[in-house]
Amino acid sequence: MADEDVVLDFLKGKSAAKSKFYFKDFLPLFPDKGPREVKKILTKLVNAEKLEFWSSGSTTMYGLKGAGKQSQAEGED
Amino acid sequence: MAFISTGYNPQKPMEGRISDIGPRKYDEFLPEVIKKNFGKWVYHEILRPGVLVHVAESGDKIYTVRVGGARTMTITHVREVCDIADKYCGGHVRWTTRSNIEFLCDDEASMEKLCEDLKTRKFAGGSYKFPIGGTGAGVSNMIHTQGWLHCHTPATDSSGPVKCVMDTLFDEFTNMRLPAPVRVSLACCINMCGAVHCSDIGLVGIHRKPPMIDHQWADQLCEIPLAVAACPTAAVRPTKVELNGEKVNSVAIKQDRCMYCGNCYTMCQAMPIADSEGDGIAIMVGGKVSNRISMPKFSKVVVSYIPNEPPRWETLTKTVKHIVEVYAANANKYERLGDWCERIGWESFFKLTGLEFTHHLIDDFREASYNTWRQSTQFKF
Amino acid sequence: MAKFQTPLLDQLESGPWPSFVSDIKQEAAARAKNPKGLDYQIPVDAPEDLLGIVELSYRDKETHWKHGGIVGVFGYGGGVIGRYCDRPEEFPGVAHFHTIRVNQPAGKYYTTDFLRQLCDIWDLRGSGILNMHGSTGDIVFLGTQTPQLEEIFWELTHKMNNDLGGSGSNLRTPAACLGQSRCEFACYNTQDICYQLTQDYQDELHRPAFPYKFKFKFDGCPNGCVCAMARSDFAVIGTWKDDIKIDQEKVKAYVAGEFKPNAGAHAGRDWGKFDIQKEVVDRCPTHCMNWDGSKLSIKTADCVRCMHCINTMPRALHIGDERGASILVGAKAPVVEGAQMGSLLIPFIEVKPPYDEIKDVIEKIWDWWMEEGKNRERVGETMKRLSFQTLLEVTEVPAQPQQVRAPRANPFIFFKEDEVPGGWTRDIAEFRKRHQR
Repeated sequence: MADEDVVLDFLKGKSAAKSKFYFKDFLPLFPDKGPREVKKILTKLVNAEKLEFWSSGSTTMYGLKGAGKQSQAEGED
Repeated sequence: MAFISTGYNPQKPMEGRISDIGPRKYDEFLPEVIKKNFGKWVYHEILRPGVLVHVAESGDKIYTVRVGGARTMTITHVREVCDIADKYCGGHVRWTTRSNIEFLCDDEASMEKLCEDLKTRKFAGGSYKFPIGGTGAGVSNMIHTQGWLHCHTPATDSSGPVKCVMDTLFDEFTNMRLPAPVRVSLACCINMCGAVHCSDIGLVGIHRKPPMIDHQWADQLCEIPLAVAACPTAAVRPTKVELNGEKVNSVAIKQDRCMYCGNCYTMCQAMPIADSEGDGIAIMVGGKVSNRISMPKFSKVVVSYIPNEPPRWETLTKTVKHIVEVYAANANKYERLGDWCERIGWESFFKLTGLEFTHHLIDDFREASYNTWRQSTQFKF
Repeated sequence: MAKFQTPLLDQLESGPWPSFVSDIKQEAAARAKNPKGLDYQIPVDAPEDLLGIVELSYRDKETHWKHGGIVGVFGYGGGVIGRYCDRPEEFPGVAHFHTIRVNQPAGKYYTTDFLRQLCDIWDLRGSGILNMHGSTGDIVFLGTQTPQLEEIFWELTHKMNNDLGGSGSNLRTPAACLGQSRCEFACYNTQDICYQLTQDYQDELHRPAFPYKFKFKFDGCPNGCVCAMARSDFAVIGTWKDDIKIDQEKVKAYVAGEFKPNAGAHAGRDWGKFDIQKEVVDRCPTHCMNWDGSKLSIKTADCVRCMHCINTMPRALHIGDERGASILVGAKAPVVEGAQMGSLLIPFIEVKPPYDEIKDVIEKIWDWWMEEGKNRERVGETMKRLSFQTLLEVTEVPAQPQQVRAPRANPFIFFKEDEVPGGWTRDIAEFRKRHQR
């Protein structure tokens, strides 16, 4: 499976309960890769408009684009 | 309103995109005399409060006029700053770390004219636009955060209390008659996005009530696992509650574990933390960052809670002014507020200031608290 | 005529200190008048609605803002903070009121051209209200709506050649004191390393992949005007190794009262005649100075470079020539485990472009912290949890007495197996030959 699909499958599998994850949550998906390599995969997915960031201001999470409850609540979609 | 596009195409966000370019390089913005004497300054002198001269090896001088101001300002104000800088400073101006504005002049005559001009500029409400000061052994501008003007977890306002405290300490901003600099800062909650933990006087907004839970909306507005994960002390757990005869997903808070940080509210709008009776300000004193004479140190809490009293925060301003006055009357020259407290002992600080010592001021937060208890028979009555 | 009555905020217009209320009112009036005939891209009365909702907070003693996490510019995880008000029907001008952080130039010098361009963008596309500057150092635009974010970013990058700052779990916008541009105490070019490292680490600044925020700050000397050792995970603080340079004639001039002590910083009060013994020599924290009535001497080996004597007699004393910096790691504000000051990792390092030696230390810390740091754990907390020794190991910095105030006061030393001759695997049969059960 392509690295990108590993990430997308992981997120789709979890999306019912939780739509956003810390960067570190993706590391176990790629036990042979270091954080910098995993970051490249996520960046690629962001640039392909598959993932988007969610920021609390102090921290940041990754999620599937458009997933979650907040965007609708604020009329931002 | 007709939308004015710059050329950005939302369908193709990468098209023509420029990113990762960082800030402009600092040297583009330096006045000529600074470029010429970069790294070759030999000494400086504060000519009078707010006015400095720096002298270079070459004999060149640069005059700086430092003025205070609100860090929240408008483009109308910034444009006025630009007009002044164009008229007197060759189109250059800078800001300090403490949100002061510094106008830089090559010669003394322009500096004097500039000072005269600045003194005449006032807002319609009567306050100065550009008070000159903030140098040497006095009170400089306050570092602060957003408060009710823009933040979602504040326990107090920022711009308002800062305005009130600086009004009260105004004469210490425009003078240099304290034993040493006094740095006053304000953070509107304990997250301290403007860190005030090493200030001579640090004002910190504190909540005293755990968040409420809006069970009706929790599951609709929030992802409950994220609200749970947001809590730094693991005080939030998922639960089901009975609401109008129905079982709904929600959260529960272990209230005695809550440190009132508001992180859960950031994640979940069904957990509001603001409370008019619970919220207020704690006063911390005696911190410093400079390594001068003594090592840097943290500020200590000397007043555990002052209620919010908008619009003028009378109790807060009175207490801060009192602390500064007692310090000014008792400390030695060069002695920072914290150095003075340590020399005389904290028991003497409470005696001299008359501030009440309460059990809230004894540290009980995790292991490090032990180091602040007295393991000695040496103390003052 | 103001849109809302603001009797509480109006009371913040009196008094001498500059009033943010008066300033916002003048912005509201300027927008109402619209002298440039702009087609404002967010509601023209945003400043009035802001005053309206803040007045409401002054009545309620509670904030009326909510956080929003999804807004941003494409591809960046930081630089924009989403903000919504909780009374949008009454205050539509600030219903959506997002923040943009703009990376400031190192040392915060500006030309008026640059500032006017910024103002023009923010006039057309935002509220006209900003922070000069936010706590970390950015220029902060307060209040715009989502469709404007990309437009503002486009104008900043295309027309002003300037990028956004950081927010979230990434490298935050680095900050420096003004350094050698106007200060005789600066031991290295703080602005240059700040600029260079900001450029070199753009990916870390815009695309969050750290456990939590990470800040660089650069102070030119131990006076610490930018508060590096209290406020940054990685603090670079100027210092020097050789003698403080003394101009004996100028020392005498200070003693004779020809120069104002402490550069005139105490001029507002009569502290009596300058007394070099009492004010300088006796206040030296290590008592490494001597004044014999005509000559000032300093025992350099005992000097801890606290800056007091130099600050007090800046015309007579000057920092040494063998200059560099100390690196302190792990400062943070109190949340969650309590405040931490930076801890000294490297007592002295040269600060010369392209700064590879310093970048090497930074990258080793990042590699370690990205692997080992828990979510929302600042590197200072990771250090505490996993030990200072671990930090030394990952950065390959040798242990030195400068790194501690005192050695440990307990004998619970965790030796590693390879530090003990023979290792930990022992032969019980051999032991039994010497000892009965």
